[in-house]
Amino acid sequence: MWKKNKEKSVNPFNLKKELALAPGYLVLMAWVGFTAVILIWVIAASLSTTGDIFRGTIFEFSSGLHFENYSRVWVASNVSVYFMNSLLYAVVSCALLILICAPYSYVLQRFKFPGSGAIKTMLAATTGVPVIMVIIPLYMIIARAGLLRNEISNRIVLIALFVATKIPYTTIFLMAYFENISRSYEEAAAIDGCHPIKAFWKIVFPMAQGGLITVTIFNFVNVWNEYFLSLLFVNSEKLRPVALGLFSMINGMQYSGDWCGLFAAVIIVFLPTFILYVALSKYIVGGLTGGVKG
Amino acid sequence: MKRNRSMVVAFALPGTLLFVLTMVYPIVRTVFMSFFAIQEITDSVDKWKFNGIGNYISLMKNSLYQASWINLAKIFVIGGVITLGVSLLLAVILKNGVRGRGFFQAAIYLPNVISAVAMATMWIQYIFNPSYGFMTKFFSALHLDSLAQIQWLGGDYKFWALLISYCFGMIGHFMLIWISGIERIGIDYYEAAAIDGANKVKQFFYITLPLLKGIFRTNIIMWSISVSGFFIWSKLFSPISADTSTVVPMVYMYDKLFGAENVDEIRRDAGIAAAVGVMLCLFIVFIFTVVNRLIKDDDLEF
Repeated sequence: MWKKNKEKSVNPFNLKKELALAPGYLVLMAWVGFTAVILIWVIAASLSTTGDIFRGTIFEFSSGLHFENYSRVWVASNVSVYFMNSLLYAVVSCALLILICAPYSYVLQRFKFPGSGAIKTMLAATTGVPVIMVIIPLYMIIARAGLLRNEISNRIVLIALFVATKIPYTTIFLMAYFENISRSYEEAAAIDGCHPIKAFWKIVFPMAQGGLITVTIFNFVNVWNEYFLSLLFVNSEKLRPVALGLFSMINGMQYSGDWCGLFAAVIIVFLPTFILYVALSKYIVGGLTGGVKG
Repeated sequence: MKRNRSMVVAFALPGTLLFVLTMVYPIVRTVFMSFFAIQEITDSVDKWKFNGIGNYISLMKNSLYQASWINLAKIFVIGGVITLGVSLLLAVILKNGVRGRGFFQAAIYLPNVISAVAMATMWIQYIFNPSYGFMTKFFSALHLDSLAQIQWLGGDYKFWALLISYCFGMIGHFMLIWISGIERIGIDYYEAAAIDGANKVKQFFYITLPLLKGIFRTNIIMWSISVSGFFIWSKLFSPISADTSTVVPMVYMYDKLFGAENVDEIRRDAGIAAAVGVMLCLFIVFIFTVVNRLIKDDDLEF
């Protein structure tokens, strides 16, 4: 993750140069410092009491650390249910997206077939289309078919929507990666009598690993944080993902008054994508900066 | 080659089918629906009443809808200047050889991976809270009492609170894209300029900025796409009902689709909701066209 950093620190320390950079450092420190203040305050608030939050004494922990805030919201406020729902939606959607889009993207990149040009253009165009352009007819069809009345079919509908709305982005993203993999591997495999489908899964697919991981992180973060589609299509409290659950908790705050619990819930929602980010940030930064064309 | 053909069919069919069924067909149908009056979203086609461009005309006359576009325009222009400007500044600072670049870059991008609901909760319940919030505490510590007393979540300031917190989260993303653009400018340009005696500021205006034209264009289009989907932040700042200071077209569309709890003025109509969607698309197409006209490619190879 710190590769660039290491290259820089090889440079000898040069006081004049560092002084010239001082205003830059100041801006960066202020920015990151502000972010840190927010996070530290919210973590401290999640471990204190509602009374301490309003008195402004959350850092004193006069009554100790209240880890029970976490267990309380986890069980009583259904955060565990929301958490498991989001996990399920995100993992299944990401897996399906790779299974559908990796082969799709590969044939679109490698072969010309009737309509392939038009498909590519439309895929690129739909990455810029707001999601509300598709949800009204889809809602109409799905609700009329009665798919939202049953819990299992409602879950399937949600996952299908998460997958469908991310197909254009995932396919386009992966095309750039397949472009960089030489055709000679498949040609060699074909000479050895390997079927092209087998050659794809055994040879090309593993070679595109970097791109697959990057796009999966983006998709996971997106589905984990998804709000709009679930707001429309989730028909029961039991099926809510974290974003929707947290939103309903906030709206209930004026009645429950459990502020420290709210901040604990915020941290629970925040942690999975944060951990994923810290562990895999080189894929995120590389993926964003690698694929953009000026 | 026959074997290749079987692979192309097997690999392209599921993706194309899904894409056409869930994206292409609904988009066409939404455009079609926008010309009909449809009271309930689940109404069958025979209950639709053809309305011509009536949906668009009634939308234009509606004051809440007008307010939603004024807000969106403000977010696009003011928020765009802030987000693209600050992200470019941070990108230039990071590319000027500061130590710990990887760390700063990762920390500034961080809000992009956090749930918008969680982020907005932190801003609303902590930063802008009038009794124990960051703004209040920070400005009273500096004895700037008039600033400390600002009620960020009420009346006139609510929109600005919304805008600041939204931009804060978006800046990291655009910063990374600027950085990728700057990285593609060859170091020899800067070396040549330095030999000729151009300082950092001059290098920025005469080398970096002109060579970032293409990225600039991409970023404006991407900003218009992000802004057109503006929904959740507005919902969180005005959770109960759409409020003229924070309403955006997506919120208006949602209320048109499912009805709002306490806004009598909003009568449900899925046709009008579809028309809102079409207008948001036209907004993106408009920005795309204008930006491509104004910022021309001038075949700069670098």
